[in-house]
Amino acid sequence: MNFYRKYSCVLLFLLLWELLSRLALINPVFFPPLSAILQTAFQPPLSGTLPEALWASLSRALPGFLIATLAGVPLGLALGVAGGSLKELSAFPLEVFSQVNPFLLFHVLILFMGIGEAPKIAIVAWSCLWPTLFGSMNAALSVNPSLIKAGRAMGLSRAGLLAKIVFPAGFPLVLASLRLSLGYSLFMLIAAEMMGASSGLGFLALNSQETFQLRPMYASVLVIALVGLALDASLRLGGRLYRGRLPEERWNSPGD
Amino acid sequence: MATTIKSLRRGAARAARRYGIFFAILALWEFAAKSGLADSVYLPTLETVAGALYDLWVKAFLFTHIMVSLTRVVTGLAVALCLGVPLALLLGRIFPASFARLEALLRIFALVNPYCLFPLFVVFFGVGETPKIAVLAWVSLWPIFFSALSAFKNVDPILVKTALATRATPFSLFRAVILPASLPSVFHGVRLGVEMSFFILIAAEMTGATAGLGWIIHNAGALNQVDRIYAAGVCVVFLGVALNWFTLYLKRGLFFWDERRDPFSTMAPGGARRPVGRGRLAIAVAVFLALMAVGAWRIFEAERLLNDPSTVHEYHVSRE
Repeated sequence: MNFYRKYSCVLLFLLLWELLSRLALINPVFFPPLSAILQTAFQPPLSGTLPEALWASLSRALPGFLIATLAGVPLGLALGVAGGSLKELSAFPLEVFSQVNPFLLFHVLILFMGIGEAPKIAIVAWSCLWPTLFGSMNAALSVNPSLIKAGRAMGLSRAGLLAKIVFPAGFPLVLASLRLSLGYSLFMLIAAEMMGASSGLGFLALNSQETFQLRPMYASVLVIALVGLALDASLRLGGRLYRGRLPEERWNSPGD
Repeated sequence: MATTIKSLRRGAARAARRYGIFFAILALWEFAAKSGLADSVYLPTLETVAGALYDLWVKAFLFTHIMVSLTRVVTGLAVALCLGVPLALLLGRIFPASFARLEALLRIFALVNPYCLFPLFVVFFGVGETPKIAVLAWVSLWPIFFSALSAFKNVDPILVKTALATRATPFSLFRAVILPASLPSVFHGVRLGVEMSFFILIAAEMTGATAGLGWIIHNAGALNQVDRIYAAGVCVVFLGVALNWFTLYLKRGLFFWDERRDPFSTMAPGGARRPVGRGRLAIAVAVFLALMAVGAWRIFEAERLLNDPSTVHEYHVSRE
């Protein structure tokens, strides 16, 4: 599909927004025209604060996501190939912990860590951990068992088995879970920043809400959506590059 | 006799394996709080939390708050279902070509954080319950829509062709082929949506509400009642686990052939011992409607308590 066909509706939507607002067919107070929003975004007060807020948010979301990935993927893959007893032992605690709400955790973490960067990164990591962990576990479970048996027969260690067989073979499902959790990370972070922060995109949005400045609000909403798109696209690109290096036919990979 | 003891013992061993680690963690919590390993002001003992739970129930209308939270989630979900599934059907089955054009736009919409647009929701839906439910509906709409869409698009074309060869009408094609083939995926999306909207609900109640479990936690945090944060937290976790189990029960009963693994559970797919029949489904629906009715009544109740000068103090502080 070519670029024009793919994005024609987006362009049309933006154009329609601009026109309807300019012609006052929709209330321009609540829906300022796109050009006015962009103008506000590139003018001094916001052109300084917007990149700053973006940086502040990214420096929370990405470490949190990274921690969750580094912890969740190996743990999930290991649980997936582990024997039945370990699965049975871990099932109930995992289900309960996955229901511990990140915002509940936020209030408890503030008690222990104080208000700072650490609890925000922690709740991003916490909310990303669960989709990553369960997704990786399902990825490991869906790997063709004869591949695992073959690996065992050739004397791979447990870690080697995970790194050389389970991870590459389950990669499409792992990637899908990472994409889900990346979406979660931004979502939870914005809400957390609205609850207790003095920087970041969520704070910027809340601040402009409270002073009823709708243009900066729309600008931050746009930036948040664009950041989400860009992160997702880069994750997909990374996944494609990694898969390009795999000998595809040999893996018999599921779910793609 | 001997066999009874044997089976009891086996059951006990299974329960120990299943719940052992969980109770070990609780014991560790109790030990840390009692022995002063962790500051007991910040980590109250379990009996303090249980006491606070009782206190909340008796003095601070805990039941009302639980029902308010539950009703909000379920209403948001119902709205999302009513919008998402027909839209997915429209774009996935009826006009599949136009979806290819709309996809990028819809993916961007899914990334728009409803939280940031809260003032707009307030402008359009007023201040009461509606903007909160709109936020929840928005959040759960996208997972439902996208999984329903991929299900509708990926119905096995051979099945559709076979049905068309028997001169099935569009309606019977939908009822007999497309719906059974795609319902498991739709339900999968519902489960994702429940999870997401329950997370977001707590945050929404913390920032802009006067009732609900999130509000209790927020209020307790503001009043420095640490034990109540934990007590309401226990309710949140319990409710989350219960919702998860309920949807999982429905999934395993209704779509027992679904091979898809679950995003929020370690349980293996499929394999219900008994599929959910009409009777059990009717009971589930009746319980569900009763819960909704109680919830709606409780939302009015919370409003009344808050506006009545004789109860408002109790509602907010209620320590004495």
